Amino acid sequence: MAPQQPPERRFFEVGRRPHEVTLKPDGAEVWQRGRVPLTKRHWLAWRGVSNPKSLRRERRLLDKRPLWWTIGLGGLLVVTPFLSDQAINIAAIFCIFSAINVVWTLIIGTAGIFSLATMAVVGMSGYAAAAANVYLGVPWPLMMPVGALVGLVLGGFLALPSTRLDGLYYALLTLGVAEICRVFVSQIKALAPANGSINQVDSFIPADWLLQRPGLLLGFFAAFALLLAALLVFRLINSERLGLLLQAAREDEAFSEANGIDYRRARLWVFVLSSGALGAIGAFYVMFYRSISLAVFSLDQLLLLFAMIVIGGLGRSEGAVLGTAIVVLIDKGMLDLGPLRIIIVTAVMIGVALTAHNGLTGVRMQFRNYRNRKKSERRAARTEKGGEVMPEEATEIADKQQVYYRLFDKRIRDRLKGQITPELIAEHKAKPLGQHSDALDRVLNYFRRGEMPDKYAILRVGEYAASTYKVLAFSGRPGHPPRVVDDKLYATMDEAYHAVFLLRVNDLLAS
Amino acid sequence: MDAGLVVYALYLAAIYGLMAIGISLLWSSVGMVNMAHGATFAFAGYAAYFAAIWAAPLAKQWLGATDWSLPALAVFIGFVAICAGALFGIVIYLIAYLTIHDKQNFAVRSLIITLALNLATVQMLLWAFGPQQKALPRVFGSGRFTTLGMSIRVDQVVTIIATTLLLGSVLIWLRHSRRGLEIRAVMQNAEGAALCGISSRKTALPIMMLTGALAGLAAVLLSQNVFVSPTAGVTPLIKGLTIALLGGLGSVPGAVAGAVLIGFIEAATGAIPFLGQRYVLFVQFTFIVCVLLIRPRGLGGLLDETRE
Amino acid sequence: MSDKLLSIKGLSAGYGPLRVLHEIDFSVAAGERLAIVGLNGHGKTTLFRAIMHLVGWQQGSIVFDGTEIGGTRSLGEGRRTPGIVRLGVAMTPQGDAIFPGLTVKQHLDCGAYTKAAWRDRALRRDHVYDIFPQLKEREQAYVGKLSGGERRMVSVGRALMADARLYLIDEPSLGLAPKISQRVVDALIDIGLDGKAMVIAEQNVALLSGKVDRMIGMHAGHLRGDVGHVDLL
Repeated sequence: MAPQQPPERRFFEVGRRPHEVTLKPDGAEVWQRGRVPLTKRHWLAWRGVSNPKSLRRERRLLDKRPLWWTIGLGGLLVVTPFLSDQAINIAAIFCIFSAINVVWTLIIGTAGIFSLATMAVVGMSGYAAAAANVYLGVPWPLMMPVGALVGLVLGGFLALPSTRLDGLYYALLTLGVAEICRVFVSQIKALAPANGSINQVDSFIPADWLLQRPGLLLGFFAAFALLLAALLVFRLINSERLGLLLQAAREDEAFSEANGIDYRRARLWVFVLSSGALGAIGAFYVMFYRSISLAVFSLDQLLLLFAMIVIGGLGRSEGAVLGTAIVVLIDKGMLDLGPLRIIIVTAVMIGVALTAHNGLTGVRMQFRNYRNRKKSERRAARTEKGGEVMPEEATEIADKQQVYYRLFDKRIRDRLKGQITPELIAEHKAKPLGQHSDALDRVLNYFRRGEMPDKYAILRVGEYAASTYKVLAFSGRPGHPPRVVDDKLYATMDEAYHAVFLLRVNDLLAS
Repeated sequence: MDAGLVVYALYLAAIYGLMAIGISLLWSSVGMVNMAHGATFAFAGYAAYFAAIWAAPLAKQWLGATDWSLPALAVFIGFVAICAGALFGIVIYLIAYLTIHDKQNFAVRSLIITLALNLATVQMLLWAFGPQQKALPRVFGSGRFTTLGMSIRVDQVVTIIATTLLLGSVLIWLRHSRRGLEIRAVMQNAEGAALCGISSRKTALPIMMLTGALAGLAAVLLSQNVFVSPTAGVTPLIKGLTIALLGGLGSVPGAVAGAVLIGFIEAATGAIPFLGQRYVLFVQFTFIVCVLLIRPRGLGGLLDETRE
Repeated sequence: MSDKLLSIKGLSAGYGPLRVLHEIDFSVAAGERLAIVGLNGHGKTTLFRAIMHLVGWQQGSIVFDGTEIGGTRSLGEGRRTPGIVRLGVAMTPQGDAIFPGLTVKQHLDCGAYTKAAWRDRALRRDHVYDIFPQLKEREQAYVGKLSGGERRMVSVGRALMADARLYLIDEPSLGLAPKISQRVVDALIDIGLDGKAMVIAEQNVALLSGKVDRMIGMHAGHLRGDVGHVDLL
């Protein structure tokens, strides 16, 4: 007769660690970790741990965002050349708008300055670069530095009021700036003779390629490079010194200032640098279209860009890119729907604002916070203090006996609380060291079993013959002396014993 | 300065004041910046237009050529516009306030939602009625009259008087009625108001209806100068926002003062020969920028004796 | 029990992961004036706020005059509070919750919110002025400018303006000089309670001892029967 197989053992998964994909390399291999050239950073954040159960070496990726970025942007880069002309144009516009939005996120999210002057800076720098090229003969490779310079200067001007005005007031100011720029440009006849626009601007796209497929492809690749550059700028500012200082300020301004962080200056720096970046993007915009017109200052365009970053989520570059993708797809990809597409965009905006605290990219964190809050509330409502250990906590405790001991301790305490009566206390007062009743014995046994930090001691004060007593409490930590409980002096040891008993009883009742 | 210019300035001040006070009031009582004000404006304009088309022949029929036909039509159209504005206010209440008023990040999210509502409404009006401008019948008086040797436009005077009366009564109502007391209580301490039995959700509704009605009235009054179209509300919204901020968000006297100042600036800029109408927004913004740089919180602080 | 004005069974409440009240059982009969005493942070305010539905979460049954007003989640922002106030519960919160820009007269009018109370609000105002004569002189003053004691009187007076049958007074003596807090407490004790009930939460036992019908201790979220049973040290 075949021996019976032992029944399959079922293991219940307890705990809250989500399942992770891990690499399991050969333990004998030497771990090669490449670094980004010229820096000390690694390309990816790998962490190696030893799995205690399977006794194998495992590697997991701590931060998976580079993967998502690579898949997304890489996919875009690879797929686009095979799409139709119109799709390539849309992809290029997506890249340009994403670049603008990423830098705008730097201003609104990192620096916390609610500025609506983005398109004003882009437009003015574009006009300056175009004018430099058309009227001053500056060759097109230098247009971007010119644009960046103009952007820096404009940023400098706009940054100054940001320290004085806050929030909405500053937003209004910058809105006004866009209008002022528009009028200014349209009035300078020398700048823009033909109804405010400058045409025939030199560009990296040769004139005869302008609306042909090769020109579109070149434009797309250049725009993609622009987006990568914008992301690099975001990373350099947000994750390095300036961004970290401002993160402290975002949490608590007064505290960070007290720690010596000059967050106002950091904000100004971020603003000015971002404006420089926007200026460069403006110059690129001119080169991409080979012209620039007053439509760049339009309020509708600005509101659309605002919709993009809002849908994606303020403060994260992923949000800017995601939001831009959604809105550009709807707005430019569904042109045949007419005004309906703006309505769809607004419906998406409303949907996102109603459900997410901070746009689509914040949804995961929001959900996790919500779930944790619900769990902790339910746990608080369920458990009684100091009793059961919940399964989530149990996985963290190495010695499982502790779980049972805590339960046992709670039950004993509840029983003893019921046994503390005025008679018991009077009995102890009468004979602290003498013969005790059963109930008092149990109480005292429990007290005697306690840990050092819970215990008290009696200090003799003065000469032996005429001494008084004081009560001290042990700290329980080696090297730390006991502390005095209060100033009361007791004449006899018995009174001191009773005082200690009362303290222990109080602690018991309060636990 | 020509007296006609002064009247024109006050006329503009009255209309902008309607928008600005609505925005200021809403912000201080509910904590929300209503970007959908422009949409309310346009929506009410269209409602008034259709009401006018429907009612004008009736008025001609019943009241004939008597002196009452125009004023009656005016009152009717004004009434329809106010109701349409209040209705739109209810819509904004339902979508932007009721859903998220107690949730995190309410100010930014309500801004986004009202902005989206604004865009959506403008697009829907565009889709439904097309971009052509429509003119309301000149029911608020036409032509000019001369007093004291000055030539003044009738409709502007009518607007100024109507607005002053209405706004005045609204402000008096806020200050002395039971509802007004509720609203002020909720503004100052929401928990204290709840403990008195005042529900902040229930008080927000009349406020939004009121501000919507004010925008509707502004739409009708301004329609003599600005024709009814889907984008008619954009400029009034921006002007209303800027004046509310100039006066200090939350300060009604500040909004009134700001409206008067901006009205005068607009009238003056239009009249100065080498500037003209094109430079109006430019000059206004420059002025507001200068004021905000000097007083970062707007004019409100100058006028309010510190009570709060 | 049907004759009790307020009866609470198994009430637990807290904020987030912190549990403040542990299954409280508590009842107040009509005509009773009782005091809940205990140190700060032990749950007196949370108990009142749980009755008014202003805590983070709560569980357990609260029956006021036959109507169940307890519930599982109060959401903390007082959505159900106005309804509970209209049923007849009035609370004077810790720290007054006053409206800085309204006058004393307007404050008292705010308290008389229900239609019936609003109609004879002048009468009720006079009644409050009888109890707190100082407020009569300062009728038109802005409450934001009044002293702490006067603010406390306004806050208590506001609670008295409504048609309430249960008054919950939270820490009437908090932050006040001894003489003034004595005056406020004396005024509270003098208020007649026919068919109504008053519960006062207080840290200062001496102020109230002997003047209330019952005194209950609260310690670490549990009610402790009559205070004084373990008089330590």
